[in-house]
Amino acid sequence: MPVVDIAPSILEQRSRRDARHERLFRWLLKGCALIVLAALLGAAGATLWGGRDAFATFGWHFLVSSEWDPGNDVYGALVPVYGTIVTSLIALLIAVPISFGIALYLSEVAPAWLRTPVASAIELLAGIPSIIYGMWGLFIFAPFFADHIKPWLTSNLGNKPDDGKLSWVAQHVPFVGKLFGSDYPFGASILVAGIVLAIMVIPFISSVMREVFQTVPTRLKESAYALGSSTWEVSWDIVLPYTRSAVIGGIFLGLGRALGETMAVTFVLGNAMHLSASLLDPGTSIASTIANQFSEASGLQKSALMALAFLLFVVTFIVLLIARLMLRRLASKEGR
Amino acid sequence: MTDSAIATNPTPVVAAAAVSPKLTVRDLHFYYNGFHALKGIDMDIPEKQVTAIIGPSGCGKSTLLRIFNRIYAIYPKLEAKGSIELDGENILDPGYSMNRLRSKVGMVFQKPVPFPMTIFENVAYGIRHHEKLSKADMENRVEQALRSSALWDEVKDKLKQNALGLSGGQQQRLCIARAIALKPEVLLLDEPTSALDPIATGRIEQLVEELKSQFTIVIVTHNMQQAARVSDLTAFMYLGEMIEFDQTEKIFTKPSKKQTEDYITGRFG
Repeated sequence: MPVVDIAPSILEQRSRRDARHERLFRWLLKGCALIVLAALLGAAGATLWGGRDAFATFGWHFLVSSEWDPGNDVYGALVPVYGTIVTSLIALLIAVPISFGIALYLSEVAPAWLRTPVASAIELLAGIPSIIYGMWGLFIFAPFFADHIKPWLTSNLGNKPDDGKLSWVAQHVPFVGKLFGSDYPFGASILVAGIVLAIMVIPFISSVMREVFQTVPTRLKESAYALGSSTWEVSWDIVLPYTRSAVIGGIFLGLGRALGETMAVTFVLGNAMHLSASLLDPGTSIASTIANQFSEASGLQKSALMALAFLLFVVTFIVLLIARLMLRRLASKEGR
Repeated sequence: MTDSAIATNPTPVVAAAAVSPKLTVRDLHFYYNGFHALKGIDMDIPEKQVTAIIGPSGCGKSTLLRIFNRIYAIYPKLEAKGSIELDGENILDPGYSMNRLRSKVGMVFQKPVPFPMTIFENVAYGIRHHEKLSKADMENRVEQALRSSALWDEVKDKLKQNALGLSGGQQQRLCIARAIALKPEVLLLDEPTSALDPIATGRIEQLVEELKSQFTIVIVTHNMQQAARVSDLTAFMYLGEMIEFDQTEKIFTKPSKKQTEDYITGRFG
């Protein structure tokens, strides 16, 4: 029959064409994904290559030296690395509990009419350019901090008080005195940078948390309420464990942003290449050192800045690694 | 109380049980965002018996059940009027402590919902809210609850594993264990087998039979055969009203209302 004769060849053509398209489509998708990988490796490779002179000249000393002296061409990364990590940690210490509160309020407690406006306000906050946070920090918050908060901190917690007497805390609690002592009269400092960073990452962390809290099945929460749990207990025992991995993901998203934040931090960190235990002293971070010095740098200094950029990569990578390990440990504790 | 509610329900069906009532519902109205969902319910739920509530979807049977432990109160804009007395105390009174109510009235939901914790913790979780127990006492208590819910033999070697690894039927029995671990007086079951296969359903029904010597059980079900199999009393609800409430045998053999007969013979619903 003619129909039977024609059909196989048409079908064959069709299936060959489909196979070709399928292959092409897969390659296309793979290409899209590979671009990300290529960009990552390219950026890491370029900074490592650019920093090779600094790494070759100073070796491991580059990581542990706090000296940064363009006059004598001696560079060490300790101060900016320390500043980056400490400002980001302060930011998280402040931002995580507040974001948790915001997200819980919006997903569990707030009346329906309030949820959408507040949620959009948070998203708007996330969209404010960092330079604006920097200006606000420099012109408004840092002077306010220097006038009102810092004196209280140094005289009550610090070991270099204004009135010459050592505070009770400084005498009795180790380290705290050192953290809050300062002779420096201005506001710009590691603590202020941490606070400004906290304000910047709160929108990110809280909107991720809010979204994942909303994914918790109603029946799961109802079951806990039916056992006599309070809203707090339901949030802490049920909502948080259920969304744990996404919440940690959100926190690390915020941490990633805090680590790399440049403009706002540059404005309020004081930019001092000086290692101090005090959170009230100025410091510097990797990103702000690069932003401050790149335009005039050449030779070994430029290479040292490139090496710093590579270190920022490494720090971020280590942070992500820690996040992964934490998730794995939590999962095994849950009995999965 | 609205007059129309009385008019549509001239002879309030209360109960037909000689046993003393555990829960006494009087003129209960429920409003859902202004929608009048329950229209003057009266019923006496006897102690240590199984009371089934049946009726077509949207008749208010689950709504009624959810008032018995005031779980509805976690949502805004829901309002219950009237009275429900548990051993003579009105649980709708705002002064009645929620914690106390929920330790006395346990609930099991439609779909099995184990908490994201180990099997042991799932059962221990609720107990911790109400009592401080030593480790050994807690272990005893959890074992006891798991035995009562006929789950112990299946899980005794994997108490430290995540509860989400259990089968659907096991998960639902775990939820029952979790509820009875608090030693409640009343156990509310909201279509507890609707997400389960026939074998798991059979086990739950058998369990209900065993548990009724210890608890007053109220079960909402879509499945009329189930109501006939497990309950002593059956209430038929329709459009927010209690149409008929009587001995299960009577409801299924010679119901006194036409609507009840139509429903159980499958003419609507």
